[in-house]
Formats: sequence, structure tokens, C-alpha cells
Amino acid sequence: MQQQDIEAQYVIEDSQVREDGQRVDTMTINMGPQHPSTHGVLRLILTIEGETIVKAVPDIGFLHTGIEKTAEAKTYHQALVLTDRMDYLAPLNNNLGYSLAVEKLLGIEDEINNKIKYVRVLLAELQRIASHLVWLGTHALDLGAMSVFLYCFREREMILDIFEEISGVRMMTSFICPGGLQADLTPAFDGKVRDFTSIFLDRLQEYHDLLTNNQLWIERTRGVGVLSAQDAIAYGASGPVLRGSNVVWDIRKAFPYSGYEQFNFDIPVGSNGDVYDRYLVRMLEMEQSLHIVNQALEGMPAGPYRVSNPKIAPPPKWQITGSMEALIHHFKLYTEGYRPPPGEVFVRTESPKGELGFYIVSDGSAKPYRMHVRGASFANLQVLPLMIEGRFLSDVVAAIGSIDIVLGEVDR
Amino acid sequence: MAITATSTVVMVREKFPQAVVETSDFRGEQTIVLRPGHLVAVCTYLQKTLRYTFLSSVTAVDWLERVPRYDVVYHLLSIPNQSELRLKLRVGEGHKQREDHPAVPSVTGVWPAANWYEREVYDLFGIIFTGHPDLRRILMPMDWTTHPLRKDYPLSGFDLPEPHWGGQVPYDVDPGVGSQTMRTPFSRELNESRSKISQDQEPGTKKT
Repeated sequence: MQQQDIEAQYVIEDSQVREDGQRVDTMTINMGPQHPSTHGVLRLILTIEGETIVKAVPDIGFLHTGIEKTAEAKTYHQALVLTDRMDYLAPLNNNLGYSLAVEKLLGIEDEINNKIKYVRVLLAELQRIASHLVWLGTHALDLGAMSVFLYCFREREMILDIFEEISGVRMMTSFICPGGLQADLTPAFDGKVRDFTSIFLDRLQEYHDLLTNNQLWIERTRGVGVLSAQDAIAYGASGPVLRGSNVVWDIRKAFPYSGYEQFNFDIPVGSNGDVYDRYLVRMLEMEQSLHIVNQALEGMPAGPYRVSNPKIAPPPKWQITGSMEALIHHFKLYTEGYRPPPGEVFVRTESPKGELGFYIVSDGSAKPYRMHVRGASFANLQVLPLMIEGRFLSDVVAAIGSIDIVLGEVDR
Repeated sequence: MAITATSTVVMVREKFPQAVVETSDFRGEQTIVLRPGHLVAVCTYLQKTLRYTFLSSVTAVDWLERVPRYDVVYHLLSIPNQSELRLKLRVGEGHKQREDHPAVPSVTGVWPAANWYEREVYDLFGIIFTGHPDLRRILMPMDWTTHPLRKDYPLSGFDLPEPHWGGQVPYDVDPGVGSQTMRTPFSRELNESRSKISQDQEPGTKKT
């Protein structure tokens, strides 16, 4: 890039001439990247005229960690760990998307049994609730409702305890992996999930009591950050942002993956596309997720927790000590990994943030030739200027919170 | 008739016979390889007539040894028809050098969402999208000079610091640089003038 081009970006026009010839004084202010309400390291360059935002330019990349580049140097199993770190509030949903993509590349989708599918769905939905709880807590905190944050983290803690119970890790579990799951469920798992599901509906009602009919909350959110359905689709918004704008679209329904077609659930949609609608959509989604968790728990089939194909999943420990062949498989798997045939797949899943897509290109080697992640937050953040331009400065925080971005996924 | 990915491929083939290089089907996913010149016409047709209203992603793949070198990949989604499609362009004939930037027409006019996606591809691969309204770097710092997702970019970066970390300066030549660097576009010029390094030298290459 030329020197003058770079300099041009730093030039700040502080007075502009309107179309009718009137000269208006504007001020350019910087918001972030170190700002408590940008949910990470988002920087916004805001041009304001009085209290009104004339122009908003998001500046991202402060958390760019080169995950796509790093994945090219890892085997397929190692690259799984990187996916946890993208949307760090919903690692299991990332694992699920990645695992489905690798399984599709390997062509072993039919080998995934119902037990694996049910556990995956159950965990993905618990993770969705956990992610939405962090969103709700921080969103409410941004708008001044402090106590909601504490309640939300109380319930999220129970979900993290469940993950700790089965995997030993609270957040970056990597529990869902290509070929199945890392380990079998523990005996205490069922009870812990039931402990959570038995109280969560009441707790959800508590949040509703605190916010849904709260006049202050309604004043801050209703009619704020409006996004039309047409714009939402054109700008690539997905997930609750798209559904808040009254578009009935959920990848779990449209392209059912991992056995979602076996579960009953509804897709909540908003009507106006404002912050309040997106709030309600996520609140109702948590209820639907709980519904799915209950169904998965009741109908949990028995079965092995990973595929029996020794080229993809390691053989059980008792075989390794007794069988030469199993030992060789184990050794080959952890030194070389598996080699999918040359080809490319793009797998969409519905993460808590929206459409999470994994595009993996294989050249027949044990490492992905290219892994591209279509981060939901990345595309959703693109609509932020549409929501806030022409609105008041104080609504920026409400709009950012309602998009529910995770900068780890935006910058990757 | 419901529009599916397979019927879309047939319709695009009929409507734009000279635009389609080849089509492929891998694991049930349909791919159309297009000639770059026809991209916008085909995309407009897909968006308006076949209602592929949602652009999921734009990305690229660098096949270092191949001519043309890059694949530019578009993932489309039709919300009304619940159908998904992949478009692909092969660009970059003779673009072997790091400074070379193959050009692709921008589809921001068809899907506004392409704005950030194309900026990302430009940033990480150095592919230029002609007609893009605001083609700036998006993830890397503004004064970065190279494109990290290219296959000839080493995984751990170059041996020498990028301009961002103090200019195109080897540590052994000018030890003073690096301790006083600012993250501004001007620091690069400052540092380059202090050291005697040629402007033609690529970052990361040993001085011959």
C-alpha cells in the first residue's frame, strides 16, 4: 500500500458540508479496542455530530492469531484444538462443526452412531445455553442491569461443571472430535445434567422477571439498532441477528446435521429487528435448547462413543496391550494421523452466534491443505454500522451487545 | 420446480455456456468453476433469478505449484430454496512473485456482504478485487507488506521484523531499531532511512 494511502486513513475530517450546503461540525472519537463494552478488542471509529452518529467504521484484527494458517501445519486431529480458541464462549459448537467437516471429507458420516449424535447434540445445546448466558449477562451489564450478570454466571457455572465432569476441562474441552467423542460419558453425567435442567426453566423465568417487562430495559432496547430483514440477508447476518429480523432460518432445520432432525424444537423469530427482538429470540432459544437437552437425555441410546474404524479412532486400551495390529494402528494414528482423500467440503452448522462454516481442502496428506472458517461473528459485525448510523451514541453499546460478537471468532 | 444445487448447475451451464470451465460434485456438494470475466454476470443471475440471496463466505486457496495459482471460492446459500452452491475461479497466471496481485471482479454490487470477505482475502492472499469500494487490510495491521496465508509465507513469519515491528531492518545491521518503534505508518520510513537496506530487498530474505 502506498504511503499516502495509509496517511489518508489517518486524516480526520472534522467538518463536513451537507447536501443542502449547510456546514456541520463533527467530531471523530475512538471507541476501543480497550473498552469494557466492546466485548473484547473491537475498535470503532465513530464520527459524531452532537450525540448522533454520522459514520461508524469498525476496526478489527487486534486478536488475529492466524488460526487458519496454523491449521495448515497441524494434523487433522491437532487442528481440532485450534477450533476451541475461536469462539471461546462456545468451543463445543466449533468442535462439532469441524468434526462434521472432517468426517464428511473422510466419508465416514454413516459410521457415526446415534449415541455419538445424541451426545453431540446434547453438549452443543448446553454450550448454546452457556454462550447465551454470557451474552445475556454482559449485555445487561452494558446497559446497567448489574445483577443479571451474577445470576447468569451462576447457571453457566453448572454447565461448565458438567463439561468438567466428562472431559476434565471446563472451557476448551475439545470433547467432540472427528470420529466421535474423546471419552465415554461418566456415570455422574446424567445426574448433573438433570440437576441443571430441573432448575433452569425457573432461572430463565427469573431473567425474564428482571428484564423482559422492565420499563428501563424496554426503553433502552426497543426500536434501537433496527435491522431490516432485507439488509440482514444481504449483509450476511445469521443466527439470532437474522432471526431477530423476522427471517425464519435455522441451519439445524434447513440442513439438519448430527441428527437434529430427530428432535422437536421451534425457531423463535422477532418482528422488528431491534435490540429487544434479538434479546427475546435468544431468551426463547435458551428455552428451546433446554427442550432439546431434555429430549436427548431421555432418548440417549447406548453404544460406543467413537467409530470402530482403527484408521480414524484409536483402538481401545485393552486391545493395544494385547494386539500387535492395534498397537500399530495406535502408533500410526498419533504419529501420522489419517489421510482424507483429495477434495473439499464446506459444512455449515448453527453455532450460538450464527452460521459457522468450515471449509476444508484436502490434498490427500495428513494435514489440511487449507482450512477456512466462516465465523458468524465476523459477518454479523458487518451490519453494525447499519444499526447505529443515525442513532445516538449511547445506543452503540446496546447494538454491539445485541450482535453478540466474540472477537476470537471475528479475527481468528 | 424446486431449485436445487444440481438443477442450478444445469441452469447455469445452459444460460452461460462460455462462462463455465467445469463443474464437479464431491460428497454431494456442487461446484461450478467459472471464468473470472463472467463472474459478476453469473452471480447477478444467481442472486436475482435463482434467489441465492445469502453469501456465506469468500475465500481463496493457494496452489503454489499450479498455474493459475489461486482458487477464489464463493459459498452461496439460497434461503428460499434451501440450497447451497460453491463457485470457484482460477486466477493468477504467471503470478509467482510475492509482489504480484492477481485481480478478480468484486461481487460487492451483488451481495453487500462480500465487502468484508473480500477485504479478508485481499489482506491474507493479496488478491485484488476490482470495483471493491473499500479494499483495505482488515485483519493484519495497515502497514503490513505481505500476505500471510500464501503458501510461500513461512509459518513462523519472516526472520526479519515486519514494518509493523520496526521496519525492514535486520537486527545485526541496526541494533538501535526495535527499541523505539511506534505503530504508525511513518516509523517504517524512519527506520528504513536509518539503515542502509535496499528498498528492493524483500523482507525475510538474506542479503546477497
